[in-house]
Amino acid sequence: MSTLRAWLTDPSPTSRRQARLGQSYLAWLRIRRNRLAMAGLVIVGLLLLVAAFAPLIAPHDPLVQDLSRRLLPPGTPGNLLGTDDFGRDILSRILYGARITLYIIALVAVTAPVLGLLIGTVAGYFGGWVDAVLMRITDIFLAFPRLILALALVAVLGPGIGNAVLAIALTAWPPYARIARAETLTVRNSDYIAAVRLQGAGAGRIIWGHIVPMCLPSVIIRVTLDMAGVILIAAGLGFLGLGVQPPMPEWGLMISSGRKFLFEQWWVATMPGLAIFLVSLGFNLLGDGLRDVLDPRSAGK
Amino acid sequence: MSLLEVQNLRVTFDTETGPVQAVRGVSFSLGRERLGIVGESGSGKTMTGRSVLRLIRPPGRIAADRMVFDGQDLMRASERDMRALRGKRIGMVMQDPKYSLNPVMTVGEQLTEGLRRRDRIRGAEARAKAVAALEAVQIRDPDRVMAAYPHELSGGMGQRVMIAMMLIPEPDLLIADEPTSALDVTVQAEVLSILDALVRDRGMGLIFISHDLRLVGRFCDRVLVMFKGRVVEELEARRLTEARHPYTRGLLNCLPRIGGPREPLPGLDRSGDWAKEGAA
Amino acid sequence: MGLIEIENLSVTFRAKGREVRAVEGVSLTVGERESYGLVGESGSGKSTILRAICGMAPVTGGQIRIGGEALRMPRGPGFSRRVQMVFQDPYASLHPRHTIDRTLSEPLAIHRIGGSDAKVVKALTDVGLPASFRFRYPHQLSGGQRQRVAIARALMLEPSILLLDEPTSALDASVQAEVLNLLTRLREERGLTFLMVSHDLAVIDHMCDRVLVMQHGRAVEELARDDLAAARMTTAYARSLFEASADRMLDPAKAP
Repeated sequence: MSTLRAWLTDPSPTSRRQARLGQSYLAWLRIRRNRLAMAGLVIVGLLLLVAAFAPLIAPHDPLVQDLSRRLLPPGTPGNLLGTDDFGRDILSRILYGARITLYIIALVAVTAPVLGLLIGTVAGYFGGWVDAVLMRITDIFLAFPRLILALALVAVLGPGIGNAVLAIALTAWPPYARIARAETLTVRNSDYIAAVRLQGAGAGRIIWGHIVPMCLPSVIIRVTLDMAGVILIAAGLGFLGLGVQPPMPEWGLMISSGRKFLFEQWWVATMPGLAIFLVSLGFNLLGDGLRDVLDPRSAGK
Repeated sequence: MSLLEVQNLRVTFDTETGPVQAVRGVSFSLGRERLGIVGESGSGKTMTGRSVLRLIRPPGRIAADRMVFDGQDLMRASERDMRALRGKRIGMVMQDPKYSLNPVMTVGEQLTEGLRRRDRIRGAEARAKAVAALEAVQIRDPDRVMAAYPHELSGGMGQRVMIAMMLIPEPDLLIADEPTSALDVTVQAEVLSILDALVRDRGMGLIFISHDLRLVGRFCDRVLVMFKGRVVEELEARRLTEARHPYTRGLLNCLPRIGGPREPLPGLDRSGDWAKEGAA
Repeated sequence: MGLIEIENLSVTFRAKGREVRAVEGVSLTVGERESYGLVGESGSGKSTILRAICGMAPVTGGQIRIGGEALRMPRGPGFSRRVQMVFQDPYASLHPRHTIDRTLSEPLAIHRIGGSDAKVVKALTDVGLPASFRFRYPHQLSGGQRQRVAIARALMLEPSILLLDEPTSALDASVQAEVLNLLTRLREERGLTFLMVSHDLAVIDHMCDRVLVMQHGRAVEELARDDLAAARMTTAYARSLFEASADRMLDPAKAP
């Protein structure tokens, strides 16, 4: 353990890999000191574990209906969080729902920021009319209320989990483009960009190898903070019946179906609501912590 | 009697890797004279200057056996007392006027702010004082400068405004941290002559912090040479060329000179005992 | 014939409808293996000339020739292998998220030159840095070490011309001496041609054979090294600049 530590903190690494791992280790040390960020990390880690092992943890099949056991309150033996109007175990549905939530988050996280980064850095680097055209397109997307735009897209493409993800991704990229462009503008005229340009590097190499790494931290922070919003929009689409289709155990959809008996059987809507709350909170805490760790302005020493 | 007396000043920063000492036991006393503090980056010269105003933020800590300004114990003074001292009796001029002036206020507003707030001096009178201060630093059209925003001023002009601002409350001690490093040589000469006149005419004490040994030697009365948080040599400025300490000698010799030989410049030899961590 | 020939160069920046003439009608010639200095105060346009050579400033008039050939826009890969630049601030000129290795091997990758491992190690030792620094990040180096890396980077493509933009003004005096000695040594070893900008007459005098004094974007006076040391300048501005640097003069008592 201590030799590994010494290897990671060696001031003169002997390989690229060691240098990179050493930097990651320092970042880990920084985030470990931030308690709230660690709490967020634990929640997000739990979400990952639950999603991975849902079939092992879940006491029941999330789709099997048992009409003799409908709307049982939390604490009933065998149904810890109660059952819904079809007699399905709410705990099992929430655990399986973590998979769908994670699936949506993962897909959005790999599409929207990449698109935003690409558009933002290209606009910022080239400037002029390229910038004007790309940023006006961004403005147009930003001008629509996100949920309404997502609704319109799903209405055209048809409901379903894939289309919901597509709709969310298409509405989520403009803020990333804005951030990436702002960062690019501050980096573009720096001496290290001038130096690599003087070495004959093309625009592609400069943007990908030199500008994107500088934009990445702020985009990652924003992505983490946005994840709560993505979960909520996915839940909103599910709630409106335009996202994931029944009988899939999606959290927003579960809230929607529980709404009918909100006053008599409150747990049907509240339990998935708590799950959404907890995961959103986790991502927000993690995002705040990452801001402290990754912010290029604080990463000096 | 000396204006400022500092004995065994230490500034320590608590970092993840343990405490780091930026200033390790610096002692000096200052009368109504020009004291130069010279050193390279990391020598603790700036920290020494800031400690006098107790302007070290945590995780930094200041400790001293004695730090007395005009009969007042600075180590025991409350934060409230320190606020009353700062600006009013001890002024400070920083290196770059760009970061020390508020970009969204005109120069006039910034100059009169202290007068209006602290001394409750009203409009016309405050303005007259501000104009007088600008004239004292050789600004020819003070009315235009009063109405200007900091970004509309050149570097030399901005630095003069900073000095004027520090002079309005007529401090007894001015701490100037690299006040001319961002300026061109010709402008630098003007700013220095302004500072010089102020020390002579008003009997102000001046601590002049700089990395430029030649400049300090020409401008100050006495020089402290700092290295790694310690004063390695203290000497009369005009005897700078007779400096004994190898570090001071090294600093003097490593500079290229107009008309000097083309051979390699002598590097600074840091292998001596004096450069080791524990050296006294 | 000079290696670098600048003829009647003008650079005009346009910002928000205002025109700023940074350089106006400057001509100079730098011979092969010569070291030529540009000196002046801030805003004199000396750094702009270097940027104009690199194609990073809007040239509005005149011509720049390297080796008799007029430069074209964009500069192209051949230019990169002939002319490189060292910047003023070593804290701003190295990419903060790239290791030294990446910074030094990048020019080789751009020009598809092989054998980068050996070349990076050699470049580090050439500028007096231990090979163990190879995988460090810039924030793990001091200012002087960073400037050495920047010099190593500029020499990776084995250019014949090095443009030096105040290469030591951000460094401590003792580190400045080391970097100046390094530059002198590299120039001798590789037969480089220097075009160096500085505000410090003593640095220029130490490094350069000829000096062009600039003010407000115009050339004021060209001086050979001997004329500078003997104060044989003809214009008032060059003289005032010289006199403001009086403390940088060689102490007559210690002259060899």
